[in-house]
Amino acid sequence: MSPMIPILISSLATIIVRLLPYYATWLERLPPFLAKSLRLLPIAALGPLIFPGVIIDYPGRWWAGLAGIAVASLFAWRKNGMVIPVLLSIVTTWAALAL
Amino acid sequence: MARTLTFKQGFHDGLPIFIGYFPTALAFGLVCRDLGLRAWHAILFSVTNFAGSGQFLAASLMGSGALLAELFISVLLINMRYVFMGAELSRKLDPAIRGWQRPFIAFGTTDEVFSVAVLNGEMLTASYLFGLEGTSYLGWVGGTATGFLIGMILPSLLQLAVGVTLYALFTVLLTQQVRQKGVKALAIAALSGGLHTLLSTRLAVPVGWSFVISMLTATFVGAALIDEEAGL
Repeated sequence: MSPMIPILISSLATIIVRLLPYYATWLERLPPFLAKSLRLLPIAALGPLIFPGVIIDYPGRWWAGLAGIAVASLFAWRKNGMVIPVLLSIVTTWAALAL
Repeated sequence: MARTLTFKQGFHDGLPIFIGYFPTALAFGLVCRDLGLRAWHAILFSVTNFAGSGQFLAASLMGSGALLAELFISVLLINMRYVFMGAELSRKLDPAIRGWQRPFIAFGTTDEVFSVAVLNGEMLTASYLFGLEGTSYLGWVGGTATGFLIGMILPSLLQLAVGVTLYALFTVLLTQQVRQKGVKALAIAALSGGLHTLLSTRLAVPVGWSFVISMLTATFVGAALIDEEAGL
């Protein structure tokens, strides 16, 4: 299968959710439990986006990725901004892999 | 009287987003190269999706051989937050914005674009949004292409290390959520991450479904246990 198909499927899914609020007014009248759930969904998505990938991507050095995200998290806790935590995590993981 | 937001102002506000997107997209370009995609596939990805976490998720699902239905539902769910951002943003649009311009504005709404545009507190004109979204879009697409190209010259160990960018990015987002909303946010993410690890590595559930099941379970458990007053 050409990689174009999953790429365009992914695009379609993204475009649908972006256009929906401009054309579907029923979204403003969701039951409270569903509305609350939808607000939590992005947080719940973060867990499986990080685990187990950050471990299994580094076979033989399972802690290399963990060290990287630990550093990122520490710096993000203290200050806003993404660039520095992300760059530091690359350096940390690089060092962990090179040791 | 409120000033009218111009294209130039949009470009100016978009520059920090450009700077933030570029390295992230660079990592995405590297991921695509690792997956064995061609340069134009990687670029097509960013041109047609323009969504950080959605693209990383789609790419990792492609790498694990997920079904198209798994991919579609997972990407739809992870991008569901755009429904709320769009609803909010559409209320602040200049009424003079034409019908044909709206789908373009909707397509360019990312988390960062949304935050910058809405925090502006003024009526959003089409030229402002095109400036803001266009600058961000260039950072994203340009970063993807650059990442794919420098993948040729980066030493393989460094390439492997750059792969952590994706996880670092999500970790930063999670840290911000925990800082704003308390330890409950961490508990929800830990539940979904733990479930996904268990289902996909121990119980051999296909990755796409495992992702959806874990995300929805943690969402509903969280929604049932957390009361609205907690601010979550």
